[in-house]
Amino acid sequence: MKRRAWLLSAAGAAGALVVGWCLLPARSRLGIAARPWPASGEPDLTGVVFNGWIKIKADGGVVLAMPRSEMGQGVHTALAMLVAEELDVPLQRVSLEQAGADTIYGNVAMLVGSLPFHPLEVDDYAAEGAPKVRPAKVRVGEWMMGKLARELGINATGGSSSVADAWEVLRTAAATARASLLGAASLDWKLPVDELSVKNGVISHPSGPSAHYGELAKFAAVTPPGEVILKSRKDWKLIGRSAPRLDTPAKVDGTAVFGLDVRLPGMLYAAIRLCPMLGGSAGAIQANAVLSQPGVERLVRLPAYAGSTAGLAVVGKTWWQAQRAALAVPVEWQQRPAGGLDSRKIEKTLETALEREEGYAFYIKGDAGKVEAGAVRKVEALYRAPYLAHAALEPMNCTAQVKEGKVWLWAPTQVPQMAVAVAARVAGVAPEDVHLTVTLLGGGFGRRLEVDCVAQAVRVALECGGRPVQLIWSREEDTTHDFYRPMQVARLSAAVGPEGQINLTIKSAGDAITPRWLERNLPALAGPVDTPDKSAAEGLFDLPYGFASQKMSHVATRSGVPVGYWRSVGHSQNAFFSESFMDELAWDAKQDPLAFRRSLLADAPRHLAVLDLAASKAGWGSALPAGRARGIALHEAFGSIVAQVVEVSLLNGTPRVHRVVCAVDCGTVINPGMVAQQMEGSVIFALSAALHGQIDIEDGVVRQKNFPQYKMVGLAQSPLVETHLVPSERAPGGAGEPGVPPLAPALANALFSLTGKRLRALPLVLDSA
Amino acid sequence: MELQINGRTVQADADPGMPLLWLLRDVLNMTGTKYGCGVAACGACTVRVDGEAVRSCSIPVSAVIGKRIQTIEALGAPGKPHALQAAWISEQVPQCGYCQSGMLMAAAALLDKTPKPTDADIDAAMTNICRCGTYQRIRVAIKRAAGVVPGGAMKKAKA
Repeated sequence: MKRRAWLLSAAGAAGALVVGWCLLPARSRLGIAARPWPASGEPDLTGVVFNGWIKIKADGGVVLAMPRSEMGQGVHTALAMLVAEELDVPLQRVSLEQAGADTIYGNVAMLVGSLPFHPLEVDDYAAEGAPKVRPAKVRVGEWMMGKLARELGINATGGSSSVADAWEVLRTAAATARASLLGAASLDWKLPVDELSVKNGVISHPSGPSAHYGELAKFAAVTPPGEVILKSRKDWKLIGRSAPRLDTPAKVDGTAVFGLDVRLPGMLYAAIRLCPMLGGSAGAIQANAVLSQPGVERLVRLPAYAGSTAGLAVVGKTWWQAQRAALAVPVEWQQRPAGGLDSRKIEKTLETALEREEGYAFYIKGDAGKVEAGAVRKVEALYRAPYLAHAALEPMNCTAQVKEGKVWLWAPTQVPQMAVAVAARVAGVAPEDVHLTVTLLGGGFGRRLEVDCVAQAVRVALECGGRPVQLIWSREEDTTHDFYRPMQVARLSAAVGPEGQINLTIKSAGDAITPRWLERNLPALAGPVDTPDKSAAEGLFDLPYGFASQKMSHVATRSGVPVGYWRSVGHSQNAFFSESFMDELAWDAKQDPLAFRRSLLADAPRHLAVLDLAASKAGWGSALPAGRARGIALHEAFGSIVAQVVEVSLLNGTPRVHRVVCAVDCGTVINPGMVAQQMEGSVIFALSAALHGQIDIEDGVVRQKNFPQYKMVGLAQSPLVETHLVPSERAPGGAGEPGVPPLAPALANALFSLTGKRLRALPLVLDSA
Repeated sequence: MELQINGRTVQADADPGMPLLWLLRDVLNMTGTKYGCGVAACGACTVRVDGEAVRSCSIPVSAVIGKRIQTIEALGAPGKPHALQAAWISEQVPQCGYCQSGMLMAAAALLDKTPKPTDADIDAAMTNICRCGTYQRIRVAIKRAAGVVPGGAMKKAKA
């Protein structure tokens, strides 16, 4: 067969397979009652299983299989609310059990959300009574990715996607169980099902019969549910109302168990010291110098696991003893073969890349030449953002025990399957022989999408003769060996035509995150060449404004610095670039920044509504005390739109933010109080980054070591944050991240209004200008 | 050595130079007190020593012998939370929750000394780091526990 003919027939066969696969219905995510769950943790085997999500206990309590990690965002409460709503039980009657490794627990919404479509094309405006057919590429792309995601079943907590992902699945799982329970009661009592009612998990008939779920569960589990109909919006009792979080009581009396709080009989502690030079390694280690110190058990060399840097761990009876020895041991550190990383040099490299390289075009709209030809002015600016560390307050840690060919893990992780996979690889056992308990996370912010620390803990546990060991990074190791938000630079330029029409050209440069993350965490999905990474371009290619023409491209670089997902990812710096530049364009056009944005939002009614709500609640345009100014920014991320108005003054030459008004459209809101929490938290997180956040690397060494150098906003510097929700009947969007991006530009815009100085680099420092 | 922790006399075998934090966590398995930075910068490890808020990561055990040590485990009693803990629940303060033990102990020390704190008092006393940004709810919860203002963070989130 000639090569071309063979290729054609191979393509034909593959095509037929793909077409055939596409014709199959998408894999169900309900799971089946026959399958015992969960597969890990310490399952309570007393309940009756209805499907992969719902179990009913003898006392009528509901158990929810929980695949997502609680890191402060309230997901354990939000998902429990969805189930309690459909089952008509009080929220407190829902308890959680860690879900196992089944693909039904994969996060489909997260993968669908990673597609590089413009949000105005993704959004279905039928809800506003203006039917719009979404482009075929969006419909087909989402459908294909959704189907693929169901097959892959990747369980991750990230991308502000947990509620969006659970929205249909969990309500359906609960409604199905409810239908079976009602069916069982109907059959048992020989009464029509539509005459039965449910209140607080008790089914009753006006003629007298009554039973709680626990009494009917066994019979109900083998009763077909019949037609399952989700509750209609008007019947909701829980969804849409603020409810206290389920995890609060344990978080105010010290009993909540984070990774660091796992205590096991005979447990040892390990401290680590990684090569201070990122990507470097350890030469000679004089272990004998510290092994005789009190409480010190042994020293273990650590290879560079899962994208991290090589180093050593010291095992001791307490962490303090292990840490003291780890700091004292003499080590010959070796620089990486390619030479020491330097953030200032990398910045220059990025600027050169902007000038010389085309990059990948994520978005092209209209005919740029048309506006350019008749342009009356041009506005151009170069923006920069530095590397940032995550600095979750609970330092990186993992507890591991290796015994009789099996591994037990206790880990605060956002990616349980990847933690299991890396543990299996390091210990040389099958993934089925790894048992993982996911603890509460003392903050995640994307850092716990990495499993370097899990691999290290297993490596050390292999040397501990079957005893469990808790490996904890010091704050210094946590700050200096992070997977950083990548440094990015962007050039934004606008040609303005005689009628104010704008051609916007944006080109940015920086390291791509997703290809590097896949290489170290999901090598099977990493390609031989990097594919364009939406996370680098998000927040620049997906603007809601109706420019006459627009082009956005990104030059993906590879600096060698370990980079990762940082709360709101590309949006976190790109919104600073785009929304600061919008402000520049408004001032250039001699227009009010709010009015200027409004004039470009004719095709984005949701964005306009959010912007208007923030402006009206903030009193935009009203007088402020002397020495204060306002700034505004609008941004969509993770399916939710947030506008913020910041009020700022200067205190001894440094910005002091007094008030931040947030308006949010995040679709249907499950728990308004928790959305407000996330907005408040996002503002503070973003404010720390905007005022102080900067990681510098010299000769491969990160200069900032601990909180005194990597500063955080404290209570005394924190503004009052107000949250206002736009009512919506759309499916839920994200809440944990969308509040981060608008803060930095709103603050920079307020500072411009106050001082006349345009700050185009993060962090925002006034006197450096 | 002998220590007074949460109203009880505790015998512990430890290096006198060991910071109190690690004695609590790794020797006595009292894990409510957290490690965050090790340099007295974040306050996650805050306990009370003779009533004062102290960052336990940076004080050796030898310095607290004979003194009254109180940790989060004894801020309230089972079924009888401290007024601050009740206010923390009413105002729905915690997110990840990791810093909250230290925040509560710092707040308890503040209210003992200053039962009706002003905003300036709260600013000066509450210097712990919360990475989730729960500061404004902490401020309201302290005032609520002190009876300075009625609460209402839950009501503020308008649907």
